[in-house]
Amino acid sequence: MSQNGHKVIGTRPIRHDGVDKVTGRAIYGADIQLTGLLHGTVKRSPHPHARIKNIDTSRAEAHPGVRAVVTAHDLPQIADKLADLGEAIVNLRDASNNVLAYGKVLYKGHAVAGVAAINLHVAQEAVELIDVEYEVLPHVTGVLEAMEDGAPILHEDMKTTSMGEETDKVSNIANHFQHKMGEPDDGFAEADVVIEREFTTQTVHQGYIETHNATALWNEEGQLTIWTSTQGAFSVRDQMAEILQMPVSKVKIVPLEIGGGFGGKISVYLDPVAALLSKKTGHPVKMTMTRDEVFEGTGPTPGSYLKVKMGATSDGRLTAATAYMAYEAGAYPGSPVGAGAGCIFTPYDIPNVQIDGYDVCVNKPKTNAYRAPGATNAAYATETVVDEISEKLGVDPLEFRVKNGAKEGTRRADGPVHPRIGCIETTEAALNSEHYRSSLAKSANGKVRGRGVASGYWFNFNGGRSAISVSINPDGTINMLEGSTDIGGSRASIAMQLAETIGLEATDIKPYVVDTDSIGYTDVTGGSRTTFGTGYAAHATGQALIREMKERASKLWDVPADAIDFEDGVFSYRDDAEKRGSFKEMASQAGDAGGPVVAQVSTNPDGSGGGAFATHVVDVEVDRETGKVDILRYTAVQDAGTAIHPSYVEGQMQGGVVQGIGWGLNEEYIYNDDGSMTNASFLDYRMPTTLDLPMIETIIVEVPNESHPYGVRGVGEVPIVPPPAALANAIYDATGVRLRDLPMSPPRVQKALAENGG
Amino acid sequence: MSKKVHVQTTINGEAVDFLCEPRNSLLEVLRDDLDHTGAKEGCNNGNCGACNVIMDGRLVNSCCVLGVEADGCEITTIEGIGSAANLHPLQQKFLEHAALQCGICTPGFIVSAKALLDENPNPTEDEVRYWLAGNLCRCTGYDKIVRAVLDARNGA
Amino acid sequence: MRNFSYVNATSIEQVPSLLGRSWDDAVVMAGGTDLVGEMKDYAAVPKRVVNLKSIEGLDYIRQDDAGLRIGALTTLTDVLENSAVSQELPVLHQAVSVIASPQIRNMATLAGNILQRPRCWYYRSEDFPCLKKGGARCYAVGGVNTYHAIFGSGPSYIVHPSDAAPALMALGATVHVHGPRGGDEVLMDDFFTMPEMNIRRENILRPNEIVTEISIPKPEANSKGMFLKVRERESIDFALVSLAAQMTVVNGTCERASLVLGGVAPIPWRAVEAEDYLRGRRITEARAESAAEAAVEDAAPMPHNGYKVEIAKNLVKQAVQALAS
Repeated sequence: MSQNGHKVIGTRPIRHDGVDKVTGRAIYGADIQLTGLLHGTVKRSPHPHARIKNIDTSRAEAHPGVRAVVTAHDLPQIADKLADLGEAIVNLRDASNNVLAYGKVLYKGHAVAGVAAINLHVAQEAVELIDVEYEVLPHVTGVLEAMEDGAPILHEDMKTTSMGEETDKVSNIANHFQHKMGEPDDGFAEADVVIEREFTTQTVHQGYIETHNATALWNEEGQLTIWTSTQGAFSVRDQMAEILQMPVSKVKIVPLEIGGGFGGKISVYLDPVAALLSKKTGHPVKMTMTRDEVFEGTGPTPGSYLKVKMGATSDGRLTAATAYMAYEAGAYPGSPVGAGAGCIFTPYDIPNVQIDGYDVCVNKPKTNAYRAPGATNAAYATETVVDEISEKLGVDPLEFRVKNGAKEGTRRADGPVHPRIGCIETTEAALNSEHYRSSLAKSANGKVRGRGVASGYWFNFNGGRSAISVSINPDGTINMLEGSTDIGGSRASIAMQLAETIGLEATDIKPYVVDTDSIGYTDVTGGSRTTFGTGYAAHATGQALIREMKERASKLWDVPADAIDFEDGVFSYRDDAEKRGSFKEMASQAGDAGGPVVAQVSTNPDGSGGGAFATHVVDVEVDRETGKVDILRYTAVQDAGTAIHPSYVEGQMQGGVVQGIGWGLNEEYIYNDDGSMTNASFLDYRMPTTLDLPMIETIIVEVPNESHPYGVRGVGEVPIVPPPAALANAIYDATGVRLRDLPMSPPRVQKALAENGG
Repeated sequence: MSKKVHVQTTINGEAVDFLCEPRNSLLEVLRDDLDHTGAKEGCNNGNCGACNVIMDGRLVNSCCVLGVEADGCEITTIEGIGSAANLHPLQQKFLEHAALQCGICTPGFIVSAKALLDENPNPTEDEVRYWLAGNLCRCTGYDKIVRAVLDARNGA
Repeated sequence: MRNFSYVNATSIEQVPSLLGRSWDDAVVMAGGTDLVGEMKDYAAVPKRVVNLKSIEGLDYIRQDDAGLRIGALTTLTDVLENSAVSQELPVLHQAVSVIASPQIRNMATLAGNILQRPRCWYYRSEDFPCLKKGGARCYAVGGVNTYHAIFGSGPSYIVHPSDAAPALMALGATVHVHGPRGGDEVLMDDFFTMPEMNIRRENILRPNEIVTEISIPKPEANSKGMFLKVRERESIDFALVSLAAQMTVVNGTCERASLVLGGVAPIPWRAVEAEDYLRGRRITEARAESAAEAAVEDAAPMPHNGYKVEIAKNLVKQAVQALAS
């Protein structure tokens, strides 16, 4: 890994919070202990769709161990209002109703009441004593069924918005949009090969090992403090202020360590309930979810239906592409179909494109962001069709992608034009990889083998707002306060960027993730923005510190500040070689020349977070008699812009790949006809284990992002995009059978092979 | 409310006794009553390993063990493995290999891996994967975890 | 979990008196890896739990000329690590090696494994008062029955979840039971019960009886065994279909075949027609195929689990050929 002349960037220092985490000392949300703590839990709807006729909490309240019960009636009524939560735009009225159902329950597991008691077992007993009278309504869980005329309607007042205008039609289709570029019909007419295919994917969960938690204390002065595991303390603060209709200044969020988020720990679920219970009891109230509650009561990613049509000329040029994308939003509008549309054809330069996207409500939990939300579903479709086309044309699938690859200046179907990107470089690196060049036996041990490739894209949102506050210790080490919660090692990469800027070692920086009263507004850790955005702030902070130190040096040396240079970590006076000092040397003296050295910086950079491309190669072995797919070898190639801490970039790639493998081969929400999930446990919702995987090889490509001082591109999300498609293409190569429905689990593979005589 | 039972154990080498209801799991007791929050609840049903402790020399899911079952037992939790000043080689290797991202599964893996190396100081990659197959990680894809354990073999 | 009282048993003889007439009165606990989960799901709500681990001397593996005797509290890990088991009874060794996870094998006992309750997601869910729990219907019928039975005609369509049970049955093991009237021995083939015999349970044990030992006769000369398990992921997972096969083959001719399928029926399912077909026959690929067909002849798949028929057939064919070579 080249360091491009950097001293710290590109190295692999031990992360600052590492020791606490490997010794079990780190405090995660559920670990917090407070005096007088009560424990809360939630009563949830057993029905996927019903009107709430009455809630009788009297028996629960009479239980000796119970201290309070709350329902939606304890929440203020709020109007329709949109807010940007950092990875999705959310309607706050919907968010409030999702926290505690008002009037109607819209999915099995929808919260209807909260209970606080002396311990969790008592709270769980008390939940049984809350009597809710429902009028059960017909429900709908499939996206296409929900779009049909006559489908049960979730929101009687919701009319479809189509192409930006509200129509008169009440339906479950919240939104229909269209992107169009050129003239697809002409493009298809020009093509020598046209392939159109349909695909389905199922609801899938982020699967973080830590369940949701929130501990609330509403004190006598009306000050609310929440301790929680979250990807965005400031986002939680804003949501709480809105949902509870209280001033932001009365809400403090203390982010504790977080055990995984992947987009799913931005929206609040327990926090407002815990707050209300604390208000009623005068005690701090801790709430945690059980695993089945996480499945049934948080925000999985949508199941979807896609129809993709692509055409190419016989010399291997794509001429046109269209997509019909219908994504399940769950109980309230807001699926990532828009983001999916922005990614679906983006790795390609295609002159004629039309995308129709549909955001559809169904009686399932409200969907939420999951690592490159919307893009994996889309890539499953496109990358499979591209594979078919390249096969028909007799062209190597990676050569085909290189030939048609997006580059600087290529326009995305949803409008933006690519700045400098690494799409083609990434595909070429995959093409030239040892894995791709190695040969693969067609069969062994009575099983068949195959190789598949797929590409993917994720925007990486622009930096957003980040704040950093630093103070310099006399020994030259730096306390760095920041607001980006650390879900994957971002403390380290932000500290490294600061260290690089001022010529220190990463170990000289002491990063702290602090609460919302202690740092300036910082957007969520998500959208692949953190290393970019908060790193940007770190760089700016470094510059601010350099300026501060020059002022101090000027006083110490009695020379003008503008005649002082800073290079390679050393301050020096231009006209006298004797007057020089390293950052640390200056720091030890700086206090005498103007008091403690501090700096506070807030940034909100313009320019894109730098879209990231990935191309993956996978070899599989398929047992035709059982439908079992084993992974023999996997290589993930990705453009990281500049890899700040290569180990953590590799880790993000490997983690995303494995989530994608689970999504592709095993994971799904399985529903009963009554609208309940059959498999809400880690036993039956099957995530990959150590025995399901080989080592995951990674190749980091670096095409620097021109809108970041160190060239950083977000890396966390794009790795989850290609795997399901790469696996489908590999299964085809092995068996001659194409699968177009996820997950490609043994029962489905076995059935497909049996039906196709494979 | 059921009558509480008096349980006597040894935890990380120290005699510890506590009161609990029969329905309290060992995990609940460790976390809620004994301030040992290193073991985590990921699933509460023996499917993820985040709650792992070593009980009488055997790796177990503490969410599946009742507090009352621990009477007379010797328990090692993550808190008894290494310390900031004196990391266990596994902990050191996890840091060097970046074998953790969010870190919530890490205590469980360290306990599991320690149980493995205590019994088999020189496992192969297949053996490491087999022994760690009861621990789920969602962040790392296991690659760096397996490398860290292999690197910690033979006291490193 | 509901509250319950917890009692440490001191001897086998004492246990029946600590148990009651109904499963709701009291249950025993060995490793607890199934029971604790059941109690958390409210599928089991005993008033009293009787701990068996406090009884000395129930965890042993003893070998003599007759075979192996395994005490009821022997953990799966102890069975896995035992050299007599791996040498003499590879079908059992292989079966235990793919059960659950290391953590669970360290606590779970062999006896507990054959006594474990079904994994049917309706049975394990509080929201479905199914037949097995005393309710009115089997929700797998008309529900999502991907992981349910392809043999047996109800009224319950669970599959027996144990991997060790098919292996033990293929080996002709015997279950030693202790009740209020003393000890008894039951062939494993007679130990499990189909739903029409007893809807609420999967074996003949009464609420005040326990298993004390499982004994396995020494396999005859020229008898070889293997265990195959097909599942969706390689750990923690129960079988989609499994097969325990023990065959005596002399000069390419099968003298005796013992083939027991797991994951396909409410009890470990002996493929009797396949065994009968193979007896005395020279094994060829075609014959292995015929035996496989015979094994699934009576299969009655449900709408979502037809794939199990193919897999079961393929496993029988695979094992027969492997053991004949």
